Amino acid sequence: MKGKTWLFWGGLIAAAGGVLFQTSYDVQDLEEKLAGLNRKIVTEQESIQVLKAEWSYLNDPTKLEEMARAHLALQPVEARQFLALDVIPMRPAPAPDAPVQPLPGRGLTPAPLPPMVAAPAAPQIASARVPAPKTPAPIEQALEKAPVVIPAALSSPRPAAAPARTAPIKPSTLVPASARAPALPPASAPLPPAQPSAAPGKLAPNQPLPSLNRPTDVASRPLPAPAPKAAAPAQARAAAPQPYTPKPTDSLGLLVARLGANQ
Amino acid sequence: MSYPPPPYGHPPQDAPPPPVAKPRTTLAVAMEQSRYRLLVTAAVVTTVFSAISVKLVAATLFVQAGEPRQHHALELDGTTTNRADILDRNGNLLATSLVTQSLYADPKLVSRPDEAARKLVSALPELDYKDVLTKLSGEKRFVWLKRNLTPKQQAAVHRLGIPGVSFEREERRFYPAANLTSHVVGFTGVDNNGLAALEQSFNKRLTEDPGTPLQLSIDLRLQHVLKKELAATVQEFSAIGAAGIIFDVRSGEVMAMTSLPDFDPHDPTGLDPDTLFNRATLGVYEMGSTFKIFNSALALDSGKIRVSDYFDAIHPIKIGRFTINEYHGLGRALTVAEVFQHSSNLGSVRMVQQVGIPAQKAFMTKMGFTRPTALELPENGWPLVPNPWREVNSMTISFGHGISVSPMHTVTAAASIINGGVMHQPTLIKREPGAPVPGEQVVSRQTSEMMRRMFRFVVTEGTGKSAGVKGYVVGGKTGTADKQKGRHYQKNSRMSSFLGAFPMNDPRYIVYVLVDEPKATAKTYGYATGGWVAAPAVGRIIKQVGPLLNVPTQDESSPEILNATYLNAAGSTNWSAPPQAPMSATPAKGSTVASFPTPAKSQR
Repeated sequence: MKGKTWLFWGGLIAAAGGVLFQTSYDVQDLEEKLAGLNRKIVTEQESIQVLKAEWSYLNDPTKLEEMARAHLALQPVEARQFLALDVIPMRPAPAPDAPVQPLPGRGLTPAPLPPMVAAPAAPQIASARVPAPKTPAPIEQALEKAPVVIPAALSSPRPAAAPARTAPIKPSTLVPASARAPALPPASAPLPPAQPSAAPGKLAPNQPLPSLNRPTDVASRPLPAPAPKAAAPAQARAAAPQPYTPKPTDSLGLLVARLGANQ
Repeated sequence: MSYPPPPYGHPPQDAPPPPVAKPRTTLAVAMEQSRYRLLVTAAVVTTVFSAISVKLVAATLFVQAGEPRQHHALELDGTTTNRADILDRNGNLLATSLVTQSLYADPKLVSRPDEAARKLVSALPELDYKDVLTKLSGEKRFVWLKRNLTPKQQAAVHRLGIPGVSFEREERRFYPAANLTSHVVGFTGVDNNGLAALEQSFNKRLTEDPGTPLQLSIDLRLQHVLKKELAATVQEFSAIGAAGIIFDVRSGEVMAMTSLPDFDPHDPTGLDPDTLFNRATLGVYEMGSTFKIFNSALALDSGKIRVSDYFDAIHPIKIGRFTINEYHGLGRALTVAEVFQHSSNLGSVRMVQQVGIPAQKAFMTKMGFTRPTALELPENGWPLVPNPWREVNSMTISFGHGISVSPMHTVTAAASIINGGVMHQPTLIKREPGAPVPGEQVVSRQTSEMMRRMFRFVVTEGTGKSAGVKGYVVGGKTGTADKQKGRHYQKNSRMSSFLGAFPMNDPRYIVYVLVDEPKATAKTYGYATGGWVAAPAVGRIIKQVGPLLNVPTQDESSPEILNATYLNAAGSTNWSAPPQAPMSATPAKGSTVASFPTPAKSQR
């Protein structure tokens, strides 16, 4: 019994001693680690300080100016280059464009669709041709077809409207035209290959629906003329809902819808 | 011991009682005694042990009195240096402390001084062999060989492995902007004690709180522009020096301050002492016509004189042995506005004669011209003020002679004249945005308003036309003072200055340029006056500084601006809507937007 007690206490003391020593060594290790880290931090701080000083030294305005003069074509800003914000005019003619522009903007994506449902080729060609003369972007193909297609597309639905539109196109604000020009070609680009042979032939039968769409688009550009504008949006809205119905799914869905419609 | 068997018939109980009673008394006493002793001993022992244990517990558990910790984690924002950085108002470093190693030797431990010296000189060629040898063979236990080695040099010396030679960690003050801010920031000695400028005046603050940098009101970019233009002016007119100040009129902050020639703060010793001289704050000069700002403000503020009042500017004034004359006389009576416009000495004298000497003295005191400014620099010049303020002094002071003040005085006072009449003491320390700026009303708002118009008038139609910058309604006053050498005024050495402010409809900044002894060039038709020398420099500075300071550009011919700044020679501030007079004066300053390349060239 007595021996066991001794053993118990002895064991306890030994264990405590062992743990104590272990802890003490651990602490010593950690202390060393801390000292090392502290030393590293100080070194880092010192080198950060050196880098800061170097950064400031390299950013010395005198040096920067010399380098700017040697390597850049920039001049110091002058008073005349500043304008108060309220002096800057708003974008020209926001009122007439406002109602129509959203339509072509939105219409850009739907634009390819309506033709797909009803008459895919006709409106596209017209839209592709119209920007062509204005902007150099469209390809030679477009130029070749331009004389052939445009008169057909424009004259057949509304002979009276065509001349009126062609005239306003050029004086009309360049902004909407240029904005549309780049947007439309991509939509029409895939189509031309199919059209060349069929273009004149298909135009006639399918005309009624696309013609409604087409004029609205054309009208939107010269829009300054108020009369067609009022009518155009109405037509556009009337025409737009029809293509919208198949569309909402996605581009893939559209493709399927188009294929179905064609069949 | 056994008792004899008790006789029968007697109960055994009878016998013992008597012997029991006897020992009881002695034994009881003994027992009692020993019990008490034990008790006392136990109490003492308990007390002592409990005291020890209490102390033990306290010492081990409640007090961190164990082994002191060898290492503590560093504070995150602590710096390694003992001197705070100095920053400009945008946080660019102007002065910082870098840790370097310095080389020292203990000659007792150097076994062969000649060899050690030879090796050291080979590693550090800038050391002198003989010098090092005498140091190493001396009797001292510590000699500095070289302070602040670069890391490369340290490695080179380290590789030599000379016994008795070792390194000491030291700090070195480094100024990234070098000459650009040398007169503002100053420099420190080899032991990092501030010896000049802010390093000196803020020495205590910098060393006591090394963690937080000291932020100045100086803007390094403006400082650069100012110095560049001053240097160009000094070169163009072969001047001996120049001083420039850009001053925030609303807060009293000095945005830029330069004095040429300047010095490299890393090596300030052994140079021409002239480079250490701060012309902007320490130098006191007779300001010349710039002082007519204060003379006019005094006249208007006194209420006795209006802008439209006429003063004789034809007849020279004789007083004692002096004769006061015009620099460029017009030979007719002038209004106050014209006196200011043409910088007429005679008119100024006549004005102060009407106001009186005591009022002038009081006003100049109020402007701070009798004490050093409150700027935080040790280089803060005492103005030279005439001691008995006699009539002749009063007259000369009216056009800026006979009293010498520093450029900083002039700028501070002029700021109070045009900012609505509130005097803000100048400061080089950045003010907290939004904090109230201490100030003291020195002139009335009306006077200040009129002075703005006069400032503008000088630039639109007066002597300071070349300071005009399209878009920043500039106003100002030229100043040309003959320099006094010994007891006489020199004809051909003068101080030319221009005090410009912009935008005059609501002044925000003053740009002041003072050029010391400019020589006239062919381009200026032989003139070296403030209008020809300093005003174009101010114009160029404003042109570059305006965008940096976020000052909106304005159309100078717009009705609002003209309403706020118009003044004509007759002293009328009424600007009629489709005016003939102002238009003839301002057609050159057309729309800022429309006219394109011409304005830039015309200023030069």
